[in-house]
Amino acid sequence: MRTALLFLLAALMPAPALAANQVALDNSVFVERVTTDAAGKQRVLLEEPKVVVPGDRLVFVLAYRNAGAQAADKFVVTNPMPAAVRFADAGDARALVSVDGGKQWGLLADLAVPMSDGTRRAAQPADVTHIRWAFQNPIPVGGTGKLMFRGVVK
Amino acid sequence: MMKAPVGGAKHQLLPSCSILAVLAALALPTQAEAAGTRAGSTISNTASASFDTGGGTTTVDSNRVDLLVDELLDVTVDSSNPADVPTTPGATAQVLTFSVTNNGNGVEAFGLTTIANAGGDDYDPVVTQIYIDNGDGVFDASTDTLYTAGANDPSLDPDQSVTVFVLATTPGTAIDGNRGIVSLVAAAKTGTGDPGDSFAGQGEGGGDAVVGSTGADGQDAGAFVVSAATVTLVKSAVVTNSLNTADPIPGATITYTIVATVAGSGSVSGLAITDNIPADTSYVPGSITLGGSGLSDAVDGDAGDYNGTRINVSLGTVAGGQTRTVTFRTTID
Repeated sequence: MRTALLFLLAALMPAPALAANQVALDNSVFVERVTTDAAGKQRVLLEEPKVVVPGDRLVFVLAYRNAGAQAADKFVVTNPMPAAVRFADAGDARALVSVDGGKQWGLLADLAVPMSDGTRRAAQPADVTHIRWAFQNPIPVGGTGKLMFRGVVK
Repeated sequence: MMKAPVGGAKHQLLPSCSILAVLAALALPTQAEAAGTRAGSTISNTASASFDTGGGTTTVDSNRVDLLVDELLDVTVDSSNPADVPTTPGATAQVLTFSVTNNGNGVEAFGLTTIANAGGDDYDPVVTQIYIDNGDGVFDASTDTLYTAGANDPSLDPDQSVTVFVLATTPGTAIDGNRGIVSLVAAAKTGTGDPGDSFAGQGEGGGDAVVGSTGADGQDAGAFVVSAATVTLVKSAVVTNSLNTADPIPGATITYTIVATVAGSGSVSGLAITDNIPADTSYVPGSITLGGSGLSDAVDGDAGDYNGTRINVSLGTVAGGQTRTVTFRTTID
């Protein structure tokens, strides 16, 4: 558990060496492992992705920091899903997703996917092609934060 | 949790409770897909941010993270015989059919072995050969490939299957109704072990090879069932004479009845009943019957014939549980 905490803290630490005079975005990935101890209790560990195989759950962490001299307004972070990763969920409810390659955005529950027979079905996590966070308020000078989402290696 | 060592680096204690809560909520079992992303491929992730600091929209990219996908070692073996395969005592080259599937995400060779003495059955089939199918799904020793461990271990692409034939001899001591089980085992040549065990640098594409949920080996059982039959012959004779007594006097007629009873779950083929005409008696021409129907004495289309010294009735294949009754008559000289 201590190892896991270390990784978790590492994930939450601000990204080093951000470029000056603007907002910087640091991207890191962890593998989420679920272990069951002798008492049958499950534990979730975040590990460095030394070994990655299909079915593994990946946690993508995006750390932003406004290192510039002005507040950053209309702050939008966009992450296209890697082709080999199936979207699972985002860490917060503000995340918008696209299921059509970034043309339309919305909450997953509000999106639909056209079927070959002309009808539309509700979008599933596996349909997600992009994920996006659009901030309502400016990021103040020196402001930092973390965004995260999960995916499963196809 | 704040007691965890942080290596002396200054860090911010972020309101991470929400992330932890989500982590806990998602402690769901991992679901693996068939084969999946090919071993050796790279997962690259880059995010971008856009913002306005008063001078128009600026876009920055994050660093790119590349993950090499490692090789998952998984294999399954399935028996292709829908039911026990019938065999007979002493029979050789009895065939069980299996399918071996690479459920991993890289090209992998698999070693094949068999287990015939695991118990749970009545006898141990003697495995003589393993053949790799040529693709038609039908065993043919002239076109399929004889398997030699270590020499031609089948190499399978992700999701690819191959049909494997196991040939065995049924011991002559096996009796009707006995079952004999043979399991085919396929094991990844890179290695096997507990799920999660890894072989550094041995995966396709330069990554590690990781033992998957199957343990990188798989097996399934097929079974033979001995389907044998036994034949019992019972012969009886009835004497009739002109005195209406049962005395075997010259001129009396003897009617012989031979009942063949086939028992067991199998059948006998090529069954024929032959009986020599006893000395001092003469065969009554045209007296052979089978199941109450008359048969001619000539060797012709019907099953019976008389050649001057014996009668013969060819019964062909008779299944267990059936009987055949043959009669013929002689007169006492």
